[in-house]
Amino acid sequence: MLRRVAISCLLAALALPAAARTRPHYGGTLSVEVMGNPLANPGGLARRLIFEGLTTLDSEGAVQPDLAVDWRSSEMDHRWQFTLRSGVRFQDGSRLTAAAVVNSLDHSCRKNCPWSDVQAAGSDVIFTSGSPMPHLPALLAAGEFLITLTKGVNGLPPRNPVGTGPFKFTSNAKGVVTLAAYGDCWQGRPFVDSVEIRGHRSIANQWLDLNVGRADVVQVPPEMLSQARQQQLTVAVSPPVTLVALELSTAGALANPKLRAAIAAAVGRGALFNVIFQKQGDLTAALLPQQLTGYAFLFSTKQNLSKAIALRGSIQPPLLRLAAEGHGAMQLAAQRIVLNLREAGFRVQMVAGDPYHADMILRGLPLAGNNPAAVMERLLLSAGQSQAVTADSPAALYRVEKGVLDRHTIVPLLDLPRAWAISGRVRNLSLRADGMPNLADTWLENAP
Amino acid sequence: MSLRQKLLLFFSLTVAAAVAAVTWTVLVRIRHVFEERDRQETALFVSQFQREFQHRSEEVAAAIDRLANSEQARVMAYKIARTGDTAPYLTTAQTMAQNAQLDFLEIVGANGDVISSAQWPARFGYPEPAVNHASKTPFLKRENLPDGSTALGLFAVRGIAGTPAIRLIGGLRLDRSFLAELPVAPGMTVGLYSDAGSGANSASASFDATRLVGATGPVHGAAAYRKLIEKARASGQQATGVVYPGSLPQDSVTATVIPLKNRAGAVLAVLTVAIARAGMISAQQHIRAAAYGIAAVGILLAIALSLWITARVSRPIEQLARAAEEVAGGNWDVSVPQTGRDEISVMARSFNHMTRELVSQRERLVQSERVAAWRELARRLAHELKNPLFPLQLTVENLVRAKGLPEADFDEVFSESTTTLSAEIANLKAIIARFSDFSKMPRPELQRIEAKDVVERVRTLYERANQDGRIRFETQVSDVSMPLNADPELLHRALSNLVLNAMDAMPDGGTLTISACPKGDKVELCVSDTGKGLTPEECERLFTPYYTTKQYGTGLGLAIVQSVVADHAGTIAVESREGGGATFVITLPKAES
Repeated sequence: MLRRVAISCLLAALALPAAARTRPHYGGTLSVEVMGNPLANPGGLARRLIFEGLTTLDSEGAVQPDLAVDWRSSEMDHRWQFTLRSGVRFQDGSRLTAAAVVNSLDHSCRKNCPWSDVQAAGSDVIFTSGSPMPHLPALLAAGEFLITLTKGVNGLPPRNPVGTGPFKFTSNAKGVVTLAAYGDCWQGRPFVDSVEIRGHRSIANQWLDLNVGRADVVQVPPEMLSQARQQQLTVAVSPPVTLVALELSTAGALANPKLRAAIAAAVGRGALFNVIFQKQGDLTAALLPQQLTGYAFLFSTKQNLSKAIALRGSIQPPLLRLAAEGHGAMQLAAQRIVLNLREAGFRVQMVAGDPYHADMILRGLPLAGNNPAAVMERLLLSAGQSQAVTADSPAALYRVEKGVLDRHTIVPLLDLPRAWAISGRVRNLSLRADGMPNLADTWLENAP
Repeated sequence: MSLRQKLLLFFSLTVAAAVAAVTWTVLVRIRHVFEERDRQETALFVSQFQREFQHRSEEVAAAIDRLANSEQARVMAYKIARTGDTAPYLTTAQTMAQNAQLDFLEIVGANGDVISSAQWPARFGYPEPAVNHASKTPFLKRENLPDGSTALGLFAVRGIAGTPAIRLIGGLRLDRSFLAELPVAPGMTVGLYSDAGSGANSASASFDATRLVGATGPVHGAAAYRKLIEKARASGQQATGVVYPGSLPQDSVTATVIPLKNRAGAVLAVLTVAIARAGMISAQQHIRAAAYGIAAVGILLAIALSLWITARVSRPIEQLARAAEEVAGGNWDVSVPQTGRDEISVMARSFNHMTRELVSQRERLVQSERVAAWRELARRLAHELKNPLFPLQLTVENLVRAKGLPEADFDEVFSESTTTLSAEIANLKAIIARFSDFSKMPRPELQRIEAKDVVERVRTLYERANQDGRIRFETQVSDVSMPLNADPELLHRALSNLVLNAMDAMPDGGTLTISACPKGDKVELCVSDTGKGLTPEECERLFTPYYTTKQYGTGLGLAIVQSVVADHAGTIAVESREGGGATFVITLPKAES
């Protein structure tokens, strides 16, 4: 018996440190490195930590209250009323009011908004529109509509970004955005004291910093997932959250729908998926992922050069300009598309700089959410095609999606996940619905 | 052209021609020297270029060899051969090219498709035909790049050790950096023209001046190289010529173009070697400037020499010429200076002697003519006076003999004799009056008259006198106005004399025509007959005073006519042929309207 007790005590003593490691504790500075600008609107990681939306998506993609605790629609979804959470304060101490929310939304969404008017009514915010807004709560969870303080206590715009999120902006120096834990956050203080986000860092350098302990969380592009695993990195991978698609202009040289259809047929998705993105994500010709709709397989992903040539016929369009957002694989994919299109008889040139003057843009569109119609509406809004998607069945949704695809203004190519490599001292790192790390619940193992 | 001008021209041309000949010879010689130097420098550069090219080829071959034998390549090739999965090696070529410091590198699978490309990563899966015809030796190849451009490179192909079916094809770019490493002599610039097209079409592709680049950037005046480069691309042979990249001759260069070919013999690029001609142009300009200076000095000397020679030679000749013109103008009393003892002075002395002789002879001739005139006048007077004197003598002798006759007979004889004497005396008076009239021709009193009126007046007068009608009168007068500034009486008298002469010339009858017609600013008055006409000798002497063809003429009629016509600033001429009548033409100036 004594022997058993001794053994039990010994085992308990051995297990104590391990248990201590799994317990959350405060303190420490979390170092994160990203390729882009941490403060970029809408996808910057720092924005997600400083600001919050009226709603948010949980890890399953379901819409959850955030700064708004309740919402209801009326007038056939032409009017939405959101009730704000009480007691919320901005990081400068000012209260979150309906007027502040309206100012923020007016500031962040000047055109192509899902609503036509937004008003404050007491502690409520009322959205109205001439067209129905069936998925407005889901749309308000998007990064574009995070609530920022546009007027400080002195009535002037604050010099630094101010929100209600778990971290507040401290500094932006030498490419490093420093955030401090916001103790008065309505969700409670985050575990880490501060977060340093180093932007514009190449993947090679991020991984190097991770290996030498200078970074805790770094990006893993989808095409490098296999490589990361080969290098024994701890990787957190989201489900597909980005649709890589080729957006085609309906003006200029591509005003002819036959030419757009020819381009859609000429693109070889196989090479993009197998080689450039190293078989990560899903090959797709649909706007929404297969797991969300179940019918994505109905859209053919095969390259059909002969069809493309036939569709182009004798039309000799002028030199087409193709731009690509992002780096690395996206640029390489764009080069591959140029090759595909040249095979189909198009003259195409890649252009850098302002992508909005290009005839074609290769970019990632958001796929976050568990409501297919809402995801599609959000995706179309990101592509500049504001359209209310009302579908009460998969068949109806399919018809809507096919209608969109038949315009050949968006050519879906791949559904890609978002992945992050984390150091051994990072604990409880979860990914949000959009694949961004949820650093508010993360703590550091060796924090003081 | 004067002798002075001829001499000046001769000396100037001689000097200019001599200077031009020397200058041309020197310029040609200089050009030859510079061209020979350019040829030697170009040949030297070409040989250095070939050595550098060979060196680069060896570098490329060695680098590809090292890569093909590297552990990384062998492992990769083994895994590809084992799994057939080429996707993980998408960026391998970039890494290997970077490590080997190659500009181009592609990993090509056994099927000839690109597995990984350093220069165009997106080109995986596309065939690379160059590996199928690869040899051990490096070769030139035009490589397509993602931005649509092409680059010329020196390539080598090697199979990866252990898995030779998987090959590496890579190389170095031949561009500005390559040109910058070439040893270039001062004044020499090198450029590389590479075509945008590919394969056999490159030779027929149009020339694009922007594709000619030098070691430091675009070649100045690249468009000027067009002909030479197109010639080299078409023929595949080296060509040389003078190129003018700028507007000034100093900017010109002696350019040699060397075609760079691939293994199939197609021209992929053209190397241009340009040597500035500024030195030669500058030397030529200096020589030309010196030649112009020498020619200018020579021409000035020629002018001075010609002036000196003309002062010695042509001036006496000019003086002689001017004196001769004076003599020709009637002034015989001229002489020229005669200095020295040369041929010109002899000529001047002879000229002066000639003019003195001419003056002397003219004086003697005038005297002899004056004597002859007096003799002619005496003869004429004697002849004229002799005719009436003979009847006077007979009448007086008859009166003397009649003295012895009875009174009645005497009275009859006396009466007849006095009648005869009176008639002959009257005849003598008439003769004397005609001579007096000739010596006392009055000055014309000019007034504006119409030629038509003068003609009509003469015709009316003499048509009435021609009562027997053996002579037919005709007048031909123009309808236009023919005003004359003339003395009507003198002009009438002159025309009357001509009409009388014409009537005398037609004793057996004929046609007498009086006409008046305008001739520009003159008026012609003509009197024509149909008589026997005049011989040429008679025509020549007709207006000589006291010359007559008539038995009883004084020879003063036509002289008076000529005098009247001359007083009216006119001329008179006679046209006649023997047996064909005669026409006297008086030409008088038309009065101003």
